[in-house]
Amino acid sequence: MPDPLTARLKQLIVETLRLEDIAPADIPDDEPLVGGGLSLDSIDALELVVSLEREFGIKIASSEEARQALASVAALTAYIRLHGDPSRLPA
Amino acid sequence: MADSASPVRIAACGCITPFGDARETHAALLGGACALRAVPVLGREGGDPVPLALMPGRSLDETAPPAWLPALRRLHASVPGGPWGSPGRPVFVTGSNFGVGGLYALRRTGDARFAVWGAPPTCTEELRLELGWGPDVSILSHACVSAHLGLLQAARAIESGLAEEALVFSFDFLSPFVAGGFHALKILNSEMPAPYRERAAGAIGLGDGAGFVVLSRGRGDWALSGLSLYNEMHHFTSNRADGSGFAACLEGVREAARGRSVWFKGHGTGTLDAGRMEIAAASLAFPGAPITGWKGGLGHTLGSCGIVELAVAIESMRQGRAPGTVGAGGAPMAPSVADGSFGTGAFDGVVCASNAFGGAHAAFLLSHV
Repeated sequence: MPDPLTARLKQLIVETLRLEDIAPADIPDDEPLVGGGLSLDSIDALELVVSLEREFGIKIASSEEARQALASVAALTAYIRLHGDPSRLPA
Repeated sequence: MADSASPVRIAACGCITPFGDARETHAALLGGACALRAVPVLGREGGDPVPLALMPGRSLDETAPPAWLPALRRLHASVPGGPWGSPGRPVFVTGSNFGVGGLYALRRTGDARFAVWGAPPTCTEELRLELGWGPDVSILSHACVSAHLGLLQAARAIESGLAEEALVFSFDFLSPFVAGGFHALKILNSEMPAPYRERAAGAIGLGDGAGFVVLSRGRGDWALSGLSLYNEMHHFTSNRADGSGFAACLEGVREAARGRSVWFKGHGTGTLDAGRMEIAAASLAFPGAPITGWKGGLGHTLGSCGIVELAVAIESMRQGRAPGTVGAGGAPMAPSVADGSFGTGAFDGVVCASNAFGGAHAAFLLSHV
């Protein structure tokens, strides 16, 4: 049973960045989000950060913090779980 | 693009910052002063506090006419020569943002008075009329190397005989639109900038700033040479990871600096990767040169930084002492980073460098005639 937060994050990545040829389930948990197989760049990362801040009530303070949080879907899941508003996490 | 030998001289140069004119700004930086203050990033609409350096008495919010106009009038009052904009005396207006905050204000308020200030052509035309320039006024903009581009174009005009003298007039004043944009990139945040310092996360500060240079073929005590511009065409917000863009630009000015003892006035905004690459390139191109950067005290004055900091560099050479790298604490990225002020008497010149979005780089050599 996939982790609901991980599944939601993958869906958010596809929706926010309009990745037309990629299904959420196709995104590996450990693949680098920026500079990896998804070919996301720093502008894509910014768009994603805005969506994440809006949905989960987080506040990413610097570009370095964004880089660490977006290291992979697994890293992002851990970050959201640690810093996100618990009431906004999927059950 | 670089020219190793140029007959172009600086006949006059000045700037205006929150500290005052070039002499006052130089004195403030020598004392380690910092003009940056915590300001809500969206002005009266609030938002995170970020380090901004605004002209005294000015708020971040847009007004029509702009609240920064008096500062430009004061600066222009010290521009000698002219009549500017007449045949043989062109004006090159440079900036990164011009009055773009006016566009945001127009969108928010619907007040048509903001419209004329919101775009470079109309903003420049207003200034042309305000400052009494003739029709020969060109607009140049290339993000944070705008001033350098203006200097290069003005030098070319003089060298080619199209101009007897040329005025490069550069300005950038902050607005919620501009601050908000950098804040969205996460590089303008709640931390104070610490250029060329090792720390966990980078941070920049932004500042109001304007400056002018009068270039002449035969008049002036300072030579401008080795004007170099290079664009990596890599990505909007980042440089090639190998730092090759920084090195390529400095290669263009090395020839002009050959045989000279120079110090290095860097760009140094407070971002980490760019700071490291800049230091690496500067240390390789000019071994032993002390590296200093002043944006930790002035904030990044964006498109005007090349001329604002040139004015401070001239004061540094004139008065025999250059401010060290002003900014928040932390270990320097390299021993060549000048922590405190240093004497300039032993140096033949200073290499002034700036960098910009899109992987743009610019540099030139300033030296005594």
